Amino acid sequence: MVHKSEFTIEGLREYNRSSAVRWIMSHCFEHKLYFFVGLVGFALTYIAFSGARVMFGRGAELIIEGGDAGAVIAVSLAVLILSVSDGLFSLMGSMAMVILSTRVERDSRHELYASLLGKSQTFHDQQRVGDIMARATDDVRQLNFVIHPGIMFMFDMVLGFAVPMAYIAAINLELLLVPIIFVISYVIVVRRYMRRLEPVMMQQRMQYGTLSARLEETISGIEIVKVAAQEIEERKKFRRNAWKYRDFFVQQGKIEAAYLPLLMFGIAFGFFFLHCLHMHERGILGIGDIIAVAGLMQVLSFPVFISLFSISMIQLGIAGARRILELIEQRSDIDENLAGYSAAVEGAIEFDNVTFKFHGSTVLENVSFTVEPGQTVAIVGQTGSGKSTLTQLVSRTYDVDDGRVMIDGVDVRDWNLDRLRSQMGKIEQDIFLFSRSIAENISFGVENATQEQIENAAREAQAHDFILSFNEGYQSEIGERGVMLSGGQRQRLALARAFLRQPRILILDDSTSAIDSATEDEIQKAMRRAQEGRTTILITHRLSQIRWADRIIVLENGRAIANGSHEELLGSSEHYRRIFARYGAVETPVGQLAAGGGA
Amino acid sequence: MGFIMDGLDAEEYDRQYSDWQLVKRILGYFKPHLWKMIVVGLVVFLSSVMDLILPVVVSQALDQLQFTPETFDPIGTAIILGIAASAGWVANMVRQWLSAEAVGDVTLDLREDAFNAVTERDMSFYDQYPTGKVVSRVLSDTQAFSETVRLSINLMSRLLLVVLLIIYLFTVNVNMTWILMAIIPFIMYTALKFRTVARRTVTNSRRQLATVNAHIQESISGIGVAKAFRREQMIYDEFKTVNQESYEVEKINGFVFGSIFPILVTIAGLGVAAVVWFGINMAQQGVLTAGQWFLFIQGMGMIWFPLTSISSFWSQFQLGLAAGERVFALIDAEAVVKQKADDRVPAVKGEIEFVNMDFHYITGEPVLQGFSLKIPPGETLALVGHTGSGKSSIAKLINRFYEYQSGDLLIDGQDIRYFNLSSYRSQLGVVTQTPFLFDGTVMENIRYGKPEASDQEVTDIAYKVGRGDWLVSLQEGLDTQVGERGGNLSMGQRQLVAIARVLLQDPAIFILDEATASVDPLTETLIQEGLDTLMGNRTSIVIAHRLSTIRHADRIIVLDQGEIIESGTHDQLMLAGGHYANLYDSYFRHQSLEYIERMAG
Ligand SMILES: Nc1ncnc2c1ncn2[C@@H]1O[C@H](COP(=O)(O)OP(=O)(O)O)[C@@H](O)[C@H]1O
Ligand SMILES: Nc1ncnc2c1ncn2[C@@H]1O[C@H](COP(=O)(O)OP(=O)(O)O)[C@@H](O)[C@H]1O
Ligand SMILES: [Mg+2]
Ligand SMILES: [Mg+2]
Repeated sequence: MVHKSEFTIEGLREYNRSSAVRWIMSHCFEHKLYFFVGLVGFALTYIAFSGARVMFGRGAELIIEGGDAGAVIAVSLAVLILSVSDGLFSLMGSMAMVILSTRVERDSRHELYASLLGKSQTFHDQQRVGDIMARATDDVRQLNFVIHPGIMFMFDMVLGFAVPMAYIAAINLELLLVPIIFVISYVIVVRRYMRRLEPVMMQQRMQYGTLSARLEETISGIEIVKVAAQEIEERKKFRRNAWKYRDFFVQQGKIEAAYLPLLMFGIAFGFFFLHCLHMHERGILGIGDIIAVAGLMQVLSFPVFISLFSISMIQLGIAGARRILELIEQRSDIDENLAGYSAAVEGAIEFDNVTFKFHGSTVLENVSFTVEPGQTVAIVGQTGSGKSTLTQLVSRTYDVDDGRVMIDGVDVRDWNLDRLRSQMGKIEQDIFLFSRSIAENISFGVENATQEQIENAAREAQAHDFILSFNEGYQSEIGERGVMLSGGQRQRLALARAFLRQPRILILDDSTSAIDSATEDEIQKAMRRAQEGRTTILITHRLSQIRWADRIIVLENGRAIANGSHEELLGSSEHYRRIFARYGAVETPVGQLAAGGGA
Repeated sequence: MGFIMDGLDAEEYDRQYSDWQLVKRILGYFKPHLWKMIVVGLVVFLSSVMDLILPVVVSQALDQLQFTPETFDPIGTAIILGIAASAGWVANMVRQWLSAEAVGDVTLDLREDAFNAVTERDMSFYDQYPTGKVVSRVLSDTQAFSETVRLSINLMSRLLLVVLLIIYLFTVNVNMTWILMAIIPFIMYTALKFRTVARRTVTNSRRQLATVNAHIQESISGIGVAKAFRREQMIYDEFKTVNQESYEVEKINGFVFGSIFPILVTIAGLGVAAVVWFGINMAQQGVLTAGQWFLFIQGMGMIWFPLTSISSFWSQFQLGLAAGERVFALIDAEAVVKQKADDRVPAVKGEIEFVNMDFHYITGEPVLQGFSLKIPPGETLALVGHTGSGKSSIAKLINRFYEYQSGDLLIDGQDIRYFNLSSYRSQLGVVTQTPFLFDGTVMENIRYGKPEASDQEVTDIAYKVGRGDWLVSLQEGLDTQVGERGGNLSMGQRQLVAIARVLLQDPAIFILDEATASVDPLTETLIQEGLDTLMGNRTSIVIAHRLSTIRHADRIIVLDQGEIIESGTHDQLMLAGGHYANLYDSYFRHQSLEYIERMAG
């Protein structure tokens, strides 16, 4: 089925996602050539390798029954050629597998990432970044291992058993008795073994994800860890998680330790040798042949020996593949809607009886209001009343549960998502800056912005001066999430980022909370300019800004309890007065009233 | 392949350890498991002997078959083979069992050490290095390390087998053994050549993985912005580049590792042919029996296989060392904040004094210059000033997050550099400018700084903050899940949780860095009431732009570019009519309803 996605990439291949194994296989088949080169390489390897064993039998015959120098040279030369080509063919197989496995790693990470980009915010709210990281790097790497030793193992299983057994059969069919019994019981035992190992591997991977998520969180919150002097406590928590992982690791080791096929092979070899001796007594098998088949039988130990590693690899890989698929397959609720309404935004916003819930609990209830194009609407209300959430419905970060949000009279769900969002500019309350240069951060929302445009936007946001005070000016790196800036500096970069975009709808969510009032005076001028001719949704606690809004909506616990201009609300809304009245009680600054001038 | 190697970033704190240093350090981790390792050594010996029995018995059986078939006992031979196989298997099992435990524990220890280092690194370390890369060191690198150790133990047993085998072969035929051994230098030479290359490719591959990690970490954390600005394409393109680079590096790495084994097989092929040729000749001269000849051929396989694995493993080993090196570099990274002693700090009274301090984060961008400030115990001090004037930096210095370049910082008259930081910081209560919450419930987050607090205590504190109004809007009250970084709460709610967290800690010194900036004015006033009583007799530093919240501070300091330009009480400063009066006035214009009315009217 086709998944909803907020962002699609052209020409992305479709893979079979119906099961982890099929998914891996469909990735492999993208690179058929290498797959088959690998297969052929390994087949030839086994043929050459086993062929050399047969030549040893010839050699023994030469020793026991005698032969001329020519025959000796022929046998030695045959061994030389077979052994060397054994090496070269396996080189060929290996290289092919390396290419195949690294490509699958690359492609699957690519697929995962592309799908993550398309997922809605609801999805991302529920994910831990650390866990996603574990899946996108380590689990993906495990996939690589599935193929490299893993698929090689499947080749080994087939070729490593079939080729020497074919040679043995060519020498004497009866000798197949023990190897066949061995192979059958091997298959049975290995399947049981895999079933035992599987859950441990899966849990191990899951625990790894948890460990990674916890660690990522601790590092992100390291400042709080330090201010609260909780290092010891954090260590304990980490230890608990790491300890669990260690337990799964040891459990895996113990299951592997009791790997029965190795023992079975030893015993099978005993029986096989006995069988050879018995046939020798019966005069059917010469000593030279015994040497040949004993060598061939030992070839069988290869797949047995290697399978001890490769089974674990395969299972880790499949566990990883499951975790990746789980993420890719999660439904996303918002679609890009490529065929949707696509036009220049005028800027009319209408909330029509909107109800919105986060995981079943109501955050907005029956909210209705309209904003004309070019108007500024301020949203006020207490902390947690739903102001930020309301703006997220406008940009269709989330979809409403009931009612409609309309832009220019068209339901946002009917808009082409790209057209809709690319005409909005938003300063979120929880500012996120990237660990890039200042210039790159400001121009984040606009392709190919010129330095001049960037600087103008920075000037409007009162950021130009402080940027220039840095050694490297606009090229200064600002650290992860902008840690190297002060709070107000971060907000001003976010303002510049939004200004540069020249959006039709501007959403300012508490965008000056960390800025001192003198600087804000300047910014307000720029904001007022920016608001001209575009629809603005403004969340702020500064009355001076609210004052100039065309319309004010008062939210209380998710309900729009009042709606009107400042004057109207002062008269009509008790709540509105209550929120701001406290400031009225603040004493008038001595002799400063007149000096202040009009706001 | 030089062009690919160039430009891959090692972190600044990465350093080179000699192999010997690394090995010694790793062995140190094994010390607690000494007895296990001794038992492992014993069973390794046992299983090598058992592995040796197989070809020897077969070769002797063949000789008997050829020369004295009448006295030969086939069943006995088969039984010996069976017993040897079983004993070898049991020995192997014990080895794997014990080494899984030992390796599991060693990896755990290493991870813990790495994690401890993570909690010990300075804030400046985290300013510089992305979270994703650090995570990669603590988890992936230790993982790679543990895999290597497991393989080492495996291969030690093979090496022993080689030694035993060669000793035995010398007793069979000295000349043939020399021929057999002639191949060893070639294998070793090739292996050593690989070593250099392998170490480089492996280090690069691990670095590249860390880069991929860091990219994903950042872009997924910032996915909301990318969506809002509809810049998924750009992020995606960048990812593609990083991923492709990782592929190139990984491919080269795979080529190097994937070719070692086959190339050595080819070399060994020459050896096998030599043994066959010389062997047949010798046997035809009667110096060697067919069984012994077969033993030498078998021996060839038994020698080159472990040797090849050891050599190819040698690079695997390099991988482990490279990973170990990265982990140790994290553990050993030099602290920038250097403490001169580790004195436990008794109950702090709360006097804070900056003496002539110079401080910068980045050379050439001074934040404080010759800064002096004395805060007597119990004072409520307000810091105001433009953004970027250094207010938060002062708070961070009191926290001892960063090293200052000159001057002194004294707490109760004691140099802060002599403190045990944990015992000192546990007496500070800091609400940072950007509230950070951990995934979990509101209750758990409030309890964060005082894990032993009871539910009742937490509830009481929560209700003290703004009279508990804010709890009503939380879906499940104190049991509401806050999400990663507190993303499921509104910004204001996050700040309230952060305030409650500090109140519960009951610290000697309060530092509130714009702690209520995202909270609405009504709630803020309510919080203020609660805070005022709590801050009453403790040293408190309040940073705020909403000047109404600091009017009652004992002293207000106005900072401008790291300098104190005004200082005094609200009334004094208003009377002086300077910078503060201006700030207050403009603030007032922003906030006073009456004033706005009057101006409008
Ligand atoms: N991602 C989310 N998941 C669940 N609940 C949320 C999420 N974001 C906000 N909430 C809850 O919704 C309510 C409104 O939040 P918000 O709109 O951010 O408030 P504010 O008016 O302060 O901006 C709050 O009670 C908050 O806890
Ligand atoms: N971690 C950091 N690394 C480098 N520079 C920083 C860092 N933190 C703050 N700065 C710089 O130091 C100056 C003071 O910042 P800060 O103390 O946060 O100001 P504020 O007074 O707004 O709290 C600013 O110019 C800021 O860019
Ligand atoms: Mg909000
Ligand atoms: Mg600050």
